Amino acid sequence: MSDLLKFVENEVQLAALAFLAVVYAVRLIWIFRFRSRKERTFAAGSEAGGVGYSLMNVAMPWAMESTRKRPGFYAQFVVFHLGVVAAITATFIIPYAPEIFRIRAVAIAFQALLAAAFLVGLLRLVRRLANPVLRLISSADDYLSLTLMIMFFGAGVLAVPNDYRRAEWPLLLFFGLTAFFLIYVPFSKICHYLYYPFTRFYLGRSMGHRGAFPRGRKAGTQAPGPVQENRG
Amino acid sequence: MPHIEVDGKRIEVNEEGFLAHPEEWNEETARLLAKAEEGLEALTAEHWAVVRFIREYYMEKNLAPMVRKMCQATGFPLMKIYDLFPSGPAKGACKVAGLPKPDGCV
Amino acid sequence: MKEGRLRTYEPGDNVQRFLDLLGRRITRSLAVSMTACVHCGLCAESCHYFLARPDDPTMAPVWKADQIRKIFKKYIDWTGRVAPWWVKAGSLRDDEDLNRLKNIVFGSCSACRRCTYNCPMGVDTGLLVRFTRGLLTELGIVPEGVFNVSRDQWETGNQMAVTEQDYLETLEWMRDEVRTELGTASVDIPVDKPDCEVLYTINPREIKFDPRSIAHAAKVFHAAGESWTLPKWGWDQTNFGLFSGDDKLGAYVARNVYEAAERLRAKRIVISECGHGYRSTRWEGYNWADYDQKLPTESVVVTLKRYLGEGRIAVDPSRNPDAVTFHDSCNIARSGDLVEEPRWVLRRVCTDFREMFPNRRENFCCTGGGGLLSMAEYRPLRLEVAKIKAEQLRATGAKLVCTMCHNCVDGLNDVIKHYKLPMRVVQVLELVSNALVVPGRNETKKTAR
Repeated sequence: MSDLLKFVENEVQLAALAFLAVVYAVRLIWIFRFRSRKERTFAAGSEAGGVGYSLMNVAMPWAMESTRKRPGFYAQFVVFHLGVVAAITATFIIPYAPEIFRIRAVAIAFQALLAAAFLVGLLRLVRRLANPVLRLISSADDYLSLTLMIMFFGAGVLAVPNDYRRAEWPLLLFFGLTAFFLIYVPFSKICHYLYYPFTRFYLGRSMGHRGAFPRGRKAGTQAPGPVQENRG
Repeated sequence: MPHIEVDGKRIEVNEEGFLAHPEEWNEETARLLAKAEEGLEALTAEHWAVVRFIREYYMEKNLAPMVRKMCQATGFPLMKIYDLFPSGPAKGACKVAGLPKPDGCV
Repeated sequence: MKEGRLRTYEPGDNVQRFLDLLGRRITRSLAVSMTACVHCGLCAESCHYFLARPDDPTMAPVWKADQIRKIFKKYIDWTGRVAPWWVKAGSLRDDEDLNRLKNIVFGSCSACRRCTYNCPMGVDTGLLVRFTRGLLTELGIVPEGVFNVSRDQWETGNQMAVTEQDYLETLEWMRDEVRTELGTASVDIPVDKPDCEVLYTINPREIKFDPRSIAHAAKVFHAAGESWTLPKWGWDQTNFGLFSGDDKLGAYVARNVYEAAERLRAKRIVISECGHGYRSTRWEGYNWADYDQKLPTESVVVTLKRYLGEGRIAVDPSRNPDAVTFHDSCNIARSGDLVEEPRWVLRRVCTDFREMFPNRRENFCCTGGGGLLSMAEYRPLRLEVAKIKAEQLRATGAKLVCTMCHNCVDGLNDVIKHYKLPMRVVQVLELVSNALVVPGRNETKKTAR
């Protein structure tokens, strides 16, 4: 293993991570500097229950009409984000626990997941370019962030075997991208996961207080069977 | 400007089917508005009693009268107003009388 | 009018004033709704504007919200300040831009919050729209109808400028009508009676144009043996502050109601059937007014449910034989708590209750929500996109559509008329009053027959 690769896998990553942590801290302070309003009404439900339900929304595709009606979209979401988790995990496994990827099944599972996420990323890019609504609202950041993710997944597929004796460039590419990400993320839409707990918390607290969350079994969107006309 | 056409005649109305120029109202307009907007083929003496009262009230006060005043002036019970004008006092009777749409949740 | 209550438009540096207000008023929950959107576009298909106009991307909630979001990004968020073109942050140039923003937040959104419920990120576009409306209202950049009603509410304490005399006379008139109907002089519509169980608050349109609902309420309260009163001042439970986004107006109107209850030492506040009035008086108003809630504050539908549950009133559902469907009001189902309560009541007072689909918190807006009924300029678009609501109503095959909101009554009436549906709109109180069995009176009627 070359000194360059070692440097990129260790010192560069740690420096980038530290940078990320600092920017996130600043970002959190920024969020907390906005004032929050006091609730003065009697509750009709449980705020804690509402917050819990709201935060769990990500794992409940049946909870919203938008995901209920589009199971395919939800499946893509799951694959894409599991891919992110796999890629990030790989950035730690490769330098600090390389023996894990010597287990062939694990390496193949990671590669398969990353490859699937790569394909989903491409599908999402096509959707963003083809759907008129998305085309109208998308910014350069939307396109670049998605393209970077696709590249990151692709590089991950190549890097996971950790075969630096044969070629170092896949690992350099993967870790180079990782370092770039760590610096770019706080300024891009990718840091939406930092906001997710906040938006979900406030919505959940407000709806929980009013008894609108959690939503009962009778979410009530689909008709039981085809809607009959003029039954009466 | 939106308009409605009844019996080959054209009336300019606003987006909500209320007369665009309330000052241009006449009995002919009332008949046409009643037909187009309320589905009333003809206006009876009872209709006219309500419409004339609303019109006079509006010309005097530049305001739509409350339904209570309509009943007081005509001697009709409340339900009669709804029988005469299916869309009710505000969107039915006041519209036929050529008033602009009353403000608020109506 | 008192100074500073409602502003009229003045040319000048409105852009700067808008930005100052934005910075001053934004709260944490709004700020995260500004930053969290990932432009996934899932909200589009939850919006009846977009569903009815699928080829028009400017109907998508995300686009509408982006028009305010990009201003936030440009002036408050760091990435947008440093590299605006990168995140599509956009400046406000002049009053024309503000006017365009007005047409979006007032004209192409009923703030129904259906998209809020369908956003994976939990972005509250409905609240962002109301917030933006509030900034524009402060500059007098507001639809004329909203301005006029707000002015009336500021000046007269009620949105239809009903005078105290007219108010009292109409209540007396309705009292006499109910007395005649029930054949007893013991029925009353008390005003400003202290120490009652219930302080009943209403929508001014009930006084001005449709007092039948007051008679229905009086009949039911009489049958239930309730001690109740209306206040002489503070009786308007509607609140245009919710629509215009003006928290100050919201606070003023809501406080009138709360103070009336306190003055008369009432035990609870009951709100007649009104969606935005319920949301404003039960939920938002206490917060706008910085007034800690002291009394139970409920919709009359909850009161009716209690009467039925406790056996305080008896009903005969066979008097409502027509098929009835229920339309959930956005402000009650999505921004409030009541979805099962009205159904519980309807199942007891009608023989054929059927759901419309989707329903409850996923129901579509009547299309007249968010104050749109009072904005004539946006009516053509409203009726065009009402096609979604019309299809939904038609599919039920019901003859009656029941709603616990006055605003929805008018919104639905417009849809029914425009799309020529064979339906009529009713309210819960009307059906309960229809089905009400008042012992003495009904017996005599039956024997007389």
